[in-house]
Amino acid sequence: MARLKFDSTEPSHLVGLALLVGGIVFSAYQLATGADIYFTTLLKSLALGSVYALIALGFVLIFKATEVVNFSQGALAMIGALFISFMVADENLPIIGFFWEIPNPIYQLGGPEWIRWGLSVIVALGFAALLGLVIERVTIRPMIGQPLFSVAVITLGLEISLRVLANDAVKISFRSVDAPWGNGGFNIGAGFVNWSYFAAMITAAVAFVAVFFFYRSRMGISMRAVARDQEAAMAQGINIGRVFAIAWGAGAVLAALGGLFATQQPIKQTGAIDQDTSLIAFRALPAVILGGLDSVQGALIGGLMVGTAEIYAGQYLSGYTSVLGSGYPLIVPYVVMIIGLLVKPYGLFGTPEIRRV
Amino acid sequence: MRKVTKGFAPLVALALVAAACGGDDDAADEPSEPPAEDTADEPTGDTADEPTEDTADEPTEDTADEPTEDTADEPSEDTGGQEPAEEIVTDFGVTEDTIRIGLNADLSGLFAPLVTQITDAQQVFWEIVNDNGGIAGRQVELVIIDNAYDVPTHLENYAEMADESEEGVIFFSQSTGSPHTAATAEDLVDDDLIAIPLSWYSGFADPGIGQNVMELYTNYCIEAMNGIEYLAGENGATTLGIVSFPGEYGQDGAQGAKIAAEALGLEIVYDGEGAVVPGSDQTPVITELVAADPDLVWATLNPTTLAEVLGGAYQQGLRALWSGNSPTWNYQLLATDLGPIADEVFHYSTYTALWGAIDSPGMTEMIEGMRAKRPDAVLSDTYIVGWTEGLATKAVLEQAAANGDMTRAGVVKAFNEVEVDMKGLAPDQSWFGEPNDFIVRESYIYDVVLDEFDAGATVSDDDVGTGHVLEVGPYSGSIAEGYDFQEACFSG
Repeated sequence: MARLKFDSTEPSHLVGLALLVGGIVFSAYQLATGADIYFTTLLKSLALGSVYALIALGFVLIFKATEVVNFSQGALAMIGALFISFMVADENLPIIGFFWEIPNPIYQLGGPEWIRWGLSVIVALGFAALLGLVIERVTIRPMIGQPLFSVAVITLGLEISLRVLANDAVKISFRSVDAPWGNGGFNIGAGFVNWSYFAAMITAAVAFVAVFFFYRSRMGISMRAVARDQEAAMAQGINIGRVFAIAWGAGAVLAALGGLFATQQPIKQTGAIDQDTSLIAFRALPAVILGGLDSVQGALIGGLMVGTAEIYAGQYLSGYTSVLGSGYPLIVPYVVMIIGLLVKPYGLFGTPEIRRV
Repeated sequence: MRKVTKGFAPLVALALVAAACGGDDDAADEPSEPPAEDTADEPTGDTADEPTEDTADEPTEDTADEPTEDTADEPSEDTGGQEPAEEIVTDFGVTEDTIRIGLNADLSGLFAPLVTQITDAQQVFWEIVNDNGGIAGRQVELVIIDNAYDVPTHLENYAEMADESEEGVIFFSQSTGSPHTAATAEDLVDDDLIAIPLSWYSGFADPGIGQNVMELYTNYCIEAMNGIEYLAGENGATTLGIVSFPGEYGQDGAQGAKIAAEALGLEIVYDGEGAVVPGSDQTPVITELVAADPDLVWATLNPTTLAEVLGGAYQQGLRALWSGNSPTWNYQLLATDLGPIADEVFHYSTYTALWGAIDSPGMTEMIEGMRAKRPDAVLSDTYIVGWTEGLATKAVLEQAAANGDMTRAGVVKAFNEVEVDMKGLAPDQSWFGEPNDFIVRESYIYDVVLDEFDAGATVSDDDVGTGHVLEVGPYSGSIAEGYDFQEACFSG
């Protein structure tokens, strides 16, 4: 595990320390003067950070296995969310319906709404995993041994193609994912906390725990071996193709979960997919880079840091200047990323080799 | 069906996604089909190559000069457009049998979903005009080029269509975007061309900015005056909150809101003019708005951002009345979690009558036309914009034809003479004299009613709606009536 070491002779470390101390003082002040707003902001930050962490984890899993930054993660997130929407809201099954219509059996289910919704999401995540597997098999595996730049450009092409298809499905509409928590929540003083915040945090926590244990399984150890040295792993009889497939399948599932929460608060108020949904990956990119492209814990910490920076900037910086107005949340995550990279050029938890990539 | 082999795997992968994407409802796919680039209608009147397959059974095949039973009373009924071609002087964009009209339209950019519908409606309009003989014995040929909501692309398209030959166009019946249209405003004057903007910026009424820009309906600034005067009067509001984007859209609307507040004696308790940055976290705006607790909020945003601000403020306890400039609202929001909130607090302000909400000859013609030509198109109020663009263009060209001068200069002259009968779809309009005398001061206000919304409806369905019930319109309040327009409300 990468360790953060403080070096008092390093100016960038001093900048980081100053920011940390400033943050603590600022938090203490805000807590004393407006605890309700501060706590709701904190919960909102953690929720947004959890969404970013989910997306970042997808980036990391694919990068660790294939050494490729998957630029199509945003489009996969949107399509995954669309799969969920189709399963939840449409009477006929998606995909097959293009050729002939087959009723969606889950749609017809009785009983509690959240059970039907949960089952639908599981099936939709299956579709997302299948899409990830197909993409890997068709476009990534043939490129094993080819320049990484070419593979990265392929993912860029996938991003554009898949995003255009997804946008065509949404058009001017807002496709609802009908999440059971909806717009519900509770007040803390003048602040409002949505149930969706907790859904995002719980989902991210489950995902990270699952990945944590997966890396301790036989296949996980294979993945880590492949991440360390592909040729050596192959020499040990590890099936690289299977590792790639699992990474892409898992990456697509995580993207779909990220897409689900990209349609929910604290990102969207509508609870629905729109044309901007795929942009979530670009918003999560500072988290990936800050945490380290090859670090699972980096994805979590980076996501939470960037989410916190964005929400706190929106709450407490906006309106102070006429130049940016309420535009601070748009740039502060990138400022945090830049400062983080000044301290750790390969990401807070990344390995130094990433520098060369 | 095509044989699927291993080699076709990439296609299969994409097809799987496409299948899923198309799985919602067939009708929803209809309007976004990009209109064919160039030549939506061929001069022969043969409709075999019309953009949608739905037209295959239409009574238009080779009927350029024979009004059909279905279309006898449709848009070109009153054209009188059968004058001998040889009596009319022409130069660019008009031949003995063709009139070329340009649409510099966003078919793939930010507003493509809306603009594609608007363009589609205008195509239907001209198909029917052509079915009934066209204008002055000539068939109208639409030249539709995608500007992708990009100013440089818009300028390139403009240069191509402004070509001084028969391959150029005589008129721009659509110029999508405010900065895009503004970028061509001087060229329009130099080239003796007229353009209808898809923008409602008050500056276009100023001849110094938009001498040859034929802005339809009222503008953002006056729309805000009307909306606030009507809603404040109906509901006894005494305090106002303003939330708007920066720029000529958001701040033009915000300026109108401030003019109205001053005239009505409303206290502006939250001034968020230009404070809402799209794509940003809106928490600070929401927090301040909720703390200010206005009776009425006027928004000049886009639908997604409206959802963030309105939904967030409602959740934090603000129970104000809401409205805003068009296109702040999109009826598709009724299909989301925001639907019940909008039903309770939002009122839709806009420039035109909405689909089926008003009984008028224009409405009947448009609905019948859309049903005949695009029966599976998803129900949308946006078609009215395209249809009225067609009505206005047709009126100018017919005036030019009646004058015997269909040169570009002749069309500009006609633009300065014509009064357009919008047939009840929007206020009638002219562009001659002083701007203060001719700017449109009426707008429409609708109550948003969730029960009136049908997400899957098509234009062919009866008794379905987009969730709007007319409250008042065409409405012109005392502030708008008394407003002395001398220049743009907002100048960036």
